[in-house]
Amino acid sequence: MSSGGPSTGPARGARAPLAASGVADGAPPPSIRRRLARAMLVGSMLAGLAVAVSVWLAVIEEVDELLDDTLQASAEVMGALLPAGGASIAVAAPSHSDERFAWQVVDASQRVVMRSQRAPVQPFVPPPMAGFADSAQWRVYGLALGQGARTLYVAQTRAERAEAQFEVAISSVLAALAVGLLTYFWLSGLVRHEWAPVQRLSDRLAAHEPLVAGATLGTAERAELLSVHRSIDQLGQRLAQRLAHERAFTAQAAHALRTPLAGIDAQLAVCLRESPPALQPRLQRVREAASRLQRVVAALLTLFRSDGEPVRDAIDLDALLHQFPIERLRIELQAALPLQADPDLLAAALANLLDNAQRHGASRVVVSTPSAQVVRLDDDGPGVSAERRQALQQALDAQAYDDVPGLGLTLADLVARAHGGRLRLPAAAGSGFAVELSLGAGG
Amino acid sequence: MRLLLIEDDDILGEGLRDYLRGEGHTVDWFRDLRHADAVRGEPFDVWLLDWQLPDGSGLEWLRARRAKGETTPALMLTARDRLNDRVTGLDSGADDYLVKPFAPEELAARLRAMGRRSAGAADARVRVGPVLIDLQARAVSRDGERVDLTAREWALLEALAMRSGRIVLKGELERLVHGSDVEITSNALEVHISSLRRKLGRELIGTVRGLGYRLDDTGAR
Repeated sequence: MSSGGPSTGPARGARAPLAASGVADGAPPPSIRRRLARAMLVGSMLAGLAVAVSVWLAVIEEVDELLDDTLQASAEVMGALLPAGGASIAVAAPSHSDERFAWQVVDASQRVVMRSQRAPVQPFVPPPMAGFADSAQWRVYGLALGQGARTLYVAQTRAERAEAQFEVAISSVLAALAVGLLTYFWLSGLVRHEWAPVQRLSDRLAAHEPLVAGATLGTAERAELLSVHRSIDQLGQRLAQRLAHERAFTAQAAHALRTPLAGIDAQLAVCLRESPPALQPRLQRVREAASRLQRVVAALLTLFRSDGEPVRDAIDLDALLHQFPIERLRIELQAALPLQADPDLLAAALANLLDNAQRHGASRVVVSTPSAQVVRLDDDGPGVSAERRQALQQALDAQAYDDVPGLGLTLADLVARAHGGRLRLPAAAGSGFAVELSLGAGG
Repeated sequence: MRLLLIEDDDILGEGLRDYLRGEGHTVDWFRDLRHADAVRGEPFDVWLLDWQLPDGSGLEWLRARRAKGETTPALMLTARDRLNDRVTGLDSGADDYLVKPFAPEELAARLRAMGRRSAGAADARVRVGPVLIDLQARAVSRDGERVDLTAREWALLEALAMRSGRIVLKGELERLVHGSDVEITSNALEVHISSLRRKLGRELIGTVRGLGYRLDDTGAR
């Protein structure tokens, strides 16, 4: 049920592979927004941490210096206030400064002669010394009094100093981290705001009709989108130009093909009327053949017009098949389900399939509708091998019409695709050849 | 009916001319607009126009005629089958639109329908007293009895029936029946009128002296 023929152009209704629309099979592609949000979160947190660490170190150092200065200043003030003499051990009354500092006056023999409540009875540091020194528990500043007979020590516990340093540092670190987090939220909002024009461009593209004269995408909302607008507008112009050329060509082709066909029919009508009765059956057959040719040409012209859509109508399959009285071919219609299809396109497809069946040795074709919107033809011809049938099916599926001999199967496949369906070559019940023309959803 | 056919394709033009003549119409066939303009002012019942012609657009030609107030029914014969082409054709003054290829039988049927509309009849029949003229069946009867007419007699009766009740000038009637490409003798029309009166009754066709003839259906239809 097939024969050789030239390749044809892209068909109406042909479905592009999914990958070609930018959507790969399976997982969706990564989201730019989500990736940017993740990068900003990590970046903000890392920046916050880096700031926090440096703040921590700086604060520890500065607080240490500040506390030392305070110790020194306290010692100098106390040194000026303390009495010069006094050999007896005295413990000063508790004062407010005892909460922060401890102090003692040590004489030349390493005896503590005066001290605050918190200060130990032993000197903070064993040999008398001036300046800063550390013991296990204390940070001490020593100041020589008088002629160096006595030494004043002012001290602070190391634990208190560490606590003060920690409190200052932790609040600074938390502030730095909070700034990092706020920066993240601000950047995230900014990205969302700047992404909105891209989303709006996508919406405008979805509603864009590039083939309408003068149609443009409008003004670009961001400088970065100007090139996208320009490219799409140029693409639309190129498409519109190609469509205009194609329309002009199909109008000329239609005129060149339709007019002689009308002439042939008119001449045959005159011949039929004027010819002797013996010639009339033969002329009638010629006229029927011309009529079939008209249908095929009309269908081809419709099919290859890029803006032509099938005009669906309720199909009376019995009446349609009666249009094809093919010599030496019996056509039997089995219980037909209702069909919605373009009558001209379906007629062209069926006419070609029936012609092919007859030319390939079939004497009988059974036409049936095995399911909704599917027409099946089973002939009693010699058929083809299973391997050949599968190869033909693969070629039809891939629209590799160069590998499909003849116009019949190609035209039927294009008609099926124009309706949103496909042509299938199922295994025939007997020895013949079978085709199933699915015509998409009716309606 | 007298038809003006403008079609540049020889095979189609000749086929249509012969087929329509066989249907009893008078056909003046021209291959371009320039030659068709030569018969401007001639009476035609229908213009049959191709859209794409060697020296211009049939549709523009029709628009120009309509702009000048000419109302002869026009039928476009064209290969342009797009919806907007059909709409443009009809909006530009065409009364009907036939897409090529078409069967001449369909064209003939559409011409009969246009004839009925011209005659102002709801169906294809015009009754004048005892005479019933069926424009679709191309048949005439008197008191229920079928009357056979020659092609010329039918053409004459049809031309009058399509204009029943109004005066048809003698010259117009001659051209409607014989067309412009046929040499006619000076009394050929009278001969056919006389023959029709003999077959269908003297009162059927009235003579308006010095002007022409009228299918007299006053009070009869």
